[in-house]
Amino acid sequence: MTVAVTGWGWRTPLGASVGEAVSRLLAGERAARPSARFDTSSYRCRLGADVAGEPAPSRHHRFVRRMGLWGMEVAREAFARSGCSAGDRLGLFTGVGGLRAHWDEVMPALEGQEPDARDAWARGFRLLHPFWMLRYLSNNAHALLAAELGARGEGVTFGGATSAERALEAGVVDAAVVVAYDSLLEPETLVELGERGAATCADLPELRAPYDEAACGFVPGEAAAALVLERSSEAQGRALAWIDAASGADGEAGEPAAETIGLVAARVTRGERIVDGAGRARPPLDTAERAAIARVLGFDARLLCTSSAMGQLGAASSLVQVVALAECLGRRVLPPIAGLERAPPGHLKPVVERCHTGELAALAIATGAPGVVGVVRVEVPSRSP
Amino acid sequence: MSGAVITGVGVVSAFGVGARCFFDGLAEGRDAVRPIRSFDASAFPVGVAGEVPVAAIDASWMAEHLDREADRQLETWAGDGILRDRKTCFALLAASEAWRSAGALEPERGAWLSIALGLEQGFLEDLARVWDGRAFDWRLGADLPRLRYRAPVDLAAECVGQALGLTGPTVVHASACAAGALAVAHAASLIERGTAEVVLCGAADSMVNPMAMGAFWRLGAPSLRREPDACRPFDRRRDGLAIGEGAAMFVVESELRARGRGRRPFARVLGWGSTQDAYRATAPRPDGAAARAAIERCLVKAGVGADRVGYINAHGTGTPLNDPAEAKAIRAALGACAGSVPVSSIKGAVGHLMAASGAIEIAASLLPFERGLLPGTAHHRELDPECDLDVIGPSPRPARVDTVLSNSFGFGGQNASVLLGRWEGDEA
Repeated sequence: MTVAVTGWGWRTPLGASVGEAVSRLLAGERAARPSARFDTSSYRCRLGADVAGEPAPSRHHRFVRRMGLWGMEVAREAFARSGCSAGDRLGLFTGVGGLRAHWDEVMPALEGQEPDARDAWARGFRLLHPFWMLRYLSNNAHALLAAELGARGEGVTFGGATSAERALEAGVVDAAVVVAYDSLLEPETLVELGERGAATCADLPELRAPYDEAACGFVPGEAAAALVLERSSEAQGRALAWIDAASGADGEAGEPAAETIGLVAARVTRGERIVDGAGRARPPLDTAERAAIARVLGFDARLLCTSSAMGQLGAASSLVQVVALAECLGRRVLPPIAGLERAPPGHLKPVVERCHTGELAALAIATGAPGVVGVVRVEVPSRSP
Repeated sequence: MSGAVITGVGVVSAFGVGARCFFDGLAEGRDAVRPIRSFDASAFPVGVAGEVPVAAIDASWMAEHLDREADRQLETWAGDGILRDRKTCFALLAASEAWRSAGALEPERGAWLSIALGLEQGFLEDLARVWDGRAFDWRLGADLPRLRYRAPVDLAAECVGQALGLTGPTVVHASACAAGALAVAHAASLIERGTAEVVLCGAADSMVNPMAMGAFWRLGAPSLRREPDACRPFDRRRDGLAIGEGAAMFVVESELRARGRGRRPFARVLGWGSTQDAYRATAPRPDGAAARAAIERCLVKAGVGADRVGYINAHGTGTPLNDPAEAKAIRAALGACAGSVPVSSIKGAVGHLMAASGAIEIAASLLPFERGLLPGTAHHRELDPECDLDVIGPSPRPARVDTVLSNSFGFGGQNASVLLGRWEGDEA
């Protein structure tokens, strides 16, 4: 089903406003830098693409942490821009990338414990904050956001790396606010991604872009993004873009097979000539992905990579890709793959410099474990930007 | 009507491992909330829970209940610390049972997986061991295997997929206490739309550990009674919930497909409805308006009038706020029929399974079709006038009903109702 996007908002490593972040994307900037949030000098993966600053002061700070607060902010912005109404036919679909340990908050409960486990209550658990449980709830931001927006229609909180795509697929009410937020920049996540070899071990000078022949892992990032979706017939002139989404999986324990990416892309394509790739920054995976997509879009389709600039954004990936592609297509320009030096010869044409385009549609690919793929087709109105 | 039917069921509960064990417990009107045994809770304000009767899970226990030899896969999971995650173990057991009971074979391996997990505390069991690697291990004397630093949101789904060789897409639901019901509703919608042919769906959760029990007490949700009757749904004396753990999984497929495989379904999934309170994170809407809307949408979706609802398996947490709000929702949605529809809650018997509560209550909703019995409400003695419904007491009630409504109203105001229907063999 093709649906119209009538509102959007985001917080990304390249900026908080769509205009600012897309301008930096088009300029070929990379957000990767040594982690500014905690000391990663002893970590295998030391780089990250973090969102600068902090969320605006909010009374929900008691219940919701940083990324959730940003998720609420962008949802409010998207909803306001859309002009939609609250009520029983407004749905809310939230994608969260998984819960983190939040060491800072559990230490008071653990640091006084002893090996014999006796008196565990007196030794620390009595110190748990009354709202501690609420801050860990997977749907805490969703619940507060539903109340703020007056969204009383269908509502689902999905988890997982491709939850954003599934939330898009589930947008079956008259209007749906779709919000996703995720951060891969937590200590235990960086440890895991580094150990798996998924995230880069390079320092900034040696960092290579996805699809570079010397790529050696992605840069973990974080983002929050929101879209408001409506039926095309109701959105009409308010449509910022139109999207179709599809997802699939193949049972692989890790990344999906390239063939799966091609199969899912084939379900939504209408012959686009531009694709925003998954950008996993591992040459065998990148090469196989290029070949699989080329079989669907043609061998000379243009290859972009939003994640080369913003990092891998987990559950927020697809929504960020939608906004980035729509804004770039609307401006009739394509962003370069940030930092790409040497792409191996092969299928698709990696975009190495900002360039003009007359195309109005593109595909966005996102992948994750276990073996899951999400593809969104983005189309913008033909009117002048 | 969706055309989706349930052809496989698996359950892990405080009654033990297996759907039969669960149905037997409900049919006999037993209850299984007991003093906590899996860790020393003597100093904790909350002292009882609906625990699955196993203190520490290892590969041999899993192998025994999976009815197979302890193999490399189980040993690997044990080595990776995955078997310390009780909810993942329960998900594996329930999914395997559901798969077997559906007679699922190679053609079913492309099934989608729609699963809900207790994501909120997924890491807690590991955290308790993280502090210097020794400092806190309530299984005294236990070896300390590898630590896991985070709990992937889809860990159980990944393990279930590996164990059963599934190759279809996976969806993980995280809508708090409504997640299990939404997972089943999602499965039925996939069948209805023709997106999937077979879906393995359901939920698992475990919060019976020091961190979760302490945190829940700080939140003020559980009853502080240290007796088996801590949770008393719809009772005038109710003062909070009892925490439980376990899992319920189902194989859902189209009726046509089930017939083609020669399977007798347990039930039809007739309809479902979902709404949001848009009220508060910590309390349900007192007027039950959004919960009412979920029930009404469910009945409209099913094309079933209020007069045809035979029994309601309530969310029925036994908290002061939930039960009257749910009673208002039921009365408003069913109108004049409400007083004559039997209602019960199984949370007094097995506890509140949190993310898995909706799933295990859908399993309980099969009891009327399987045994001709409506589950009782353990420890319900004195009806609260604010919950003016036909609440079934502690003993199950014999009855033949053709439709069963299961309510799940999650923390944060996410509401889901699912309507099941009797499957008659002679309809074929």
